[in-house]
Amino acid sequence: MIEMDNVTKDFGTTVAVNRLSLHVGKGEIYGFIGPNGAGKTTTIRLMGGIIEPTSGNIRIGGIDLRQNPVAAKRIIGFVPDRPFLYEKLTGSEFMKFIGDLYGVGRKAMAANTDKLLNQFALFEWRDEIIEAYSHGMKQRLILAAALLHEPGVLVIDEPMVGLDPAAVKMVKDIFRTLAAQNVTIFLSTHTLGIAEDLCDRIGVIHRGKLLAQGTMAELNHAAKTGAAGLEEVFLTLVHES
Amino acid sequence: MRPRLITARRGLMSPGSRHSRSRVVLFGAVGTIFWLGTFAVFYRVLSYFQSVEDFGNILAMKLLSMLMITFSALLLFSNIINHLSNIYLSRDLPLLHSLPVSTEDLFMSRWLGSLADSSWMVIVFSLPVFLSYGLIFKAGMFYYLVSLGAIFCLCLIASSLSALAVLLGAAILPAGKIRTLFVVLGVGLAIMLIIILRLIRPEQLVNPDSFASVVVYLNSLQALSIPYLPTTWITDTVHHALNARWKTSLFNLALSFSCALTLIFAIEMIATRLYTRGFSRAQTTARRLFRPLKFFGRSWEDVLFFLSGQARAFAVKDIRTFFRDPTQWPQLFLICALILIYLYNFSVLPLDKSPIKTIYLQNIFSFLNVGLAAFVLSAIAARFVFPAVSAEGEAFWIVRSAPASLKIFLWSKFFLYFIPLLILTELLIAASNLLLGVTPFMMYLSMLTILFLVPAITGLAVGLGARFPDFKSENPALAATGLGGVVFMLLSFGLITAVLILEAGPVYRIFMARLHGQGFSAMQIMWFLLSFIFAICLCLCSLFLPMILGEKYLRKI
Repeated sequence: MIEMDNVTKDFGTTVAVNRLSLHVGKGEIYGFIGPNGAGKTTTIRLMGGIIEPTSGNIRIGGIDLRQNPVAAKRIIGFVPDRPFLYEKLTGSEFMKFIGDLYGVGRKAMAANTDKLLNQFALFEWRDEIIEAYSHGMKQRLILAAALLHEPGVLVIDEPMVGLDPAAVKMVKDIFRTLAAQNVTIFLSTHTLGIAEDLCDRIGVIHRGKLLAQGTMAELNHAAKTGAAGLEEVFLTLVHES
Repeated sequence: MRPRLITARRGLMSPGSRHSRSRVVLFGAVGTIFWLGTFAVFYRVLSYFQSVEDFGNILAMKLLSMLMITFSALLLFSNIINHLSNIYLSRDLPLLHSLPVSTEDLFMSRWLGSLADSSWMVIVFSLPVFLSYGLIFKAGMFYYLVSLGAIFCLCLIASSLSALAVLLGAAILPAGKIRTLFVVLGVGLAIMLIIILRLIRPEQLVNPDSFASVVVYLNSLQALSIPYLPTTWITDTVHHALNARWKTSLFNLALSFSCALTLIFAIEMIATRLYTRGFSRAQTTARRLFRPLKFFGRSWEDVLFFLSGQARAFAVKDIRTFFRDPTQWPQLFLICALILIYLYNFSVLPLDKSPIKTIYLQNIFSFLNVGLAAFVLSAIAARFVFPAVSAEGEAFWIVRSAPASLKIFLWSKFFLYFIPLLILTELLIAASNLLLGVTPFMMYLSMLTILFLVPAITGLAVGLGARFPDFKSENPALAATGLGGVVFMLLSFGLITAVLILEAGPVYRIFMARLHGQGFSAMQIMWFLLSFIFAICLCLCSLFLPMILGEKYLRKI
């Protein structure tokens, strides 16, 4: 569902992503980890169509993101690392706005909005302006909005930041359910426990390059760490690079 | 203060930033032109006053007093706005309040920043005024030093008084209602402007016949002086320095300076007691001021039925965001007040007293009115349309990640502003032409010209706003004061001037021919057609090229 071939993003002074290639299959949960400034957010922004790569190709569901961005974005649910929203809209108005942008039909929009706002414990706050929401509530609203159009691919940057433990558990459960329904999930995180617990495969990025990727066993093999946990694997890979 | 100073220095000195250097050069050039223009106007006016026997000096001093009052009003208003932003609403304040810094230090550092923001422009543009007074009155170095001190005192006094008002206001008003203060201020300023205009009755100044005598005229000019106002002391400081009365001048300067110091001491004392309370109150939960508007079960959004789903979504979001932001409202009120003044001016033009034939004058004014209305339109577009893309702020990722083309995004912005601006400007033109009593030809021509200029200026504003976006600013309206805003204003003024020049020749010929019942030669008709076609092409280029440029730029960032 997600294919990146030799993708480079050069910001002029920094090469944030350097000839990155990766493939994520249908219904797979792929975790993306790396130190600060490794290129995780840039990769996610490239994948979401927020910025264009300097070179290389990105295909989402077989659609070239550069050639047909609108069609590709229609199947993506994108969640950025920081919950910047239109603060003067209410929660339900924001959901409607997103629904209109993604062409969600009226009936589906009404049903999905109520369901998702309930699911993310925002229903009681739906008529309050977003300015009044806490950081965690904004994060939950973005997650709810990203699921409104029933995307085939979820691209999420740091999904658990600002969420309380109950919300973290709820989000993890939702991701597992979605993956079981063949939704592809690509997430970046600094919480290695979540990556280890949730992801089918994990990629480690450092200085814009993919150091290793695979299941826990494959990563241990690549790092020659035996049966160590992700923390040790990660530190070894980064240290060696 | 250090982060602010370092940021400012980096913004100016950044060696790798070609953008910021060209910005400094452009702003420097525009500022110098305005500075020299101000100097030239004042020098000319004061020279003229000096040529009026007996009353020349009185008129010059009256002008000085009016200027000081204007400077004070400007300083008070801009200080209040800046104090509210810098001292209570800025995003970095929670971090600063968490630091081990005393309340008064924190308050005073923010106050100083706010004072600098509000005062620098008044100081810079008061200098050519003082210079022209100094040259006309042949004043010495003492006058210039004292004048600088006087304007500095005026800034300190106005800023302290504003801080006092803001401190008390923020402590008295219920939490979260501080924004409402913006609205009250805006309405207050608009009403004040109208009242001042009515009281001054500028149309009477060009018609001395309406005064019973020169004495009454001078008395009416002297009505504003109040001895206990700081502006009077400051005016007197400059006035006496001009006439080399050092003692009186220094006494008034000392009076102003001691007043400023007393006020600063007072605000520091009051801030220790009230600032933290006011700041805490400003942090309360934001609430919607109005509930959704429904009419027979239908929402106002239904009015936008003709737009596509995505375009309507953008438009509805923009309208909601605009009307739920109280900081936008005072400027709307201000525009309404300015439009009323604009129309009022046309209603009181003494055309019948002019030595030129009324029919010529009416139609010349009507033609110039197109330019004037277009300049007003440019100013409105600079304030509201140009920052429209920047207003997306950090939430612009939503637009970029959504399956909507940037074309739809930009054109929805365009139509959102184009329709109200077109209605507003056409009404303005029609109303002022009716007040002037122009010929039907001039009425149709000016309305048609505006029909092409409004989309051109709106497209220019949206397109350049997209080419020079500022998604990081706390106040998107400030985007209009940046490099892009200046480029927009210059291009917009250039376009209006070019269109008017292209139309002026043919319009004059057609008007004269109609007046004298003459026909046109084939060459003349060709000339008319080419001029109008070229003007239309210019408008179309101004509409489409910036939109394409803006779209390309947004795609690349």
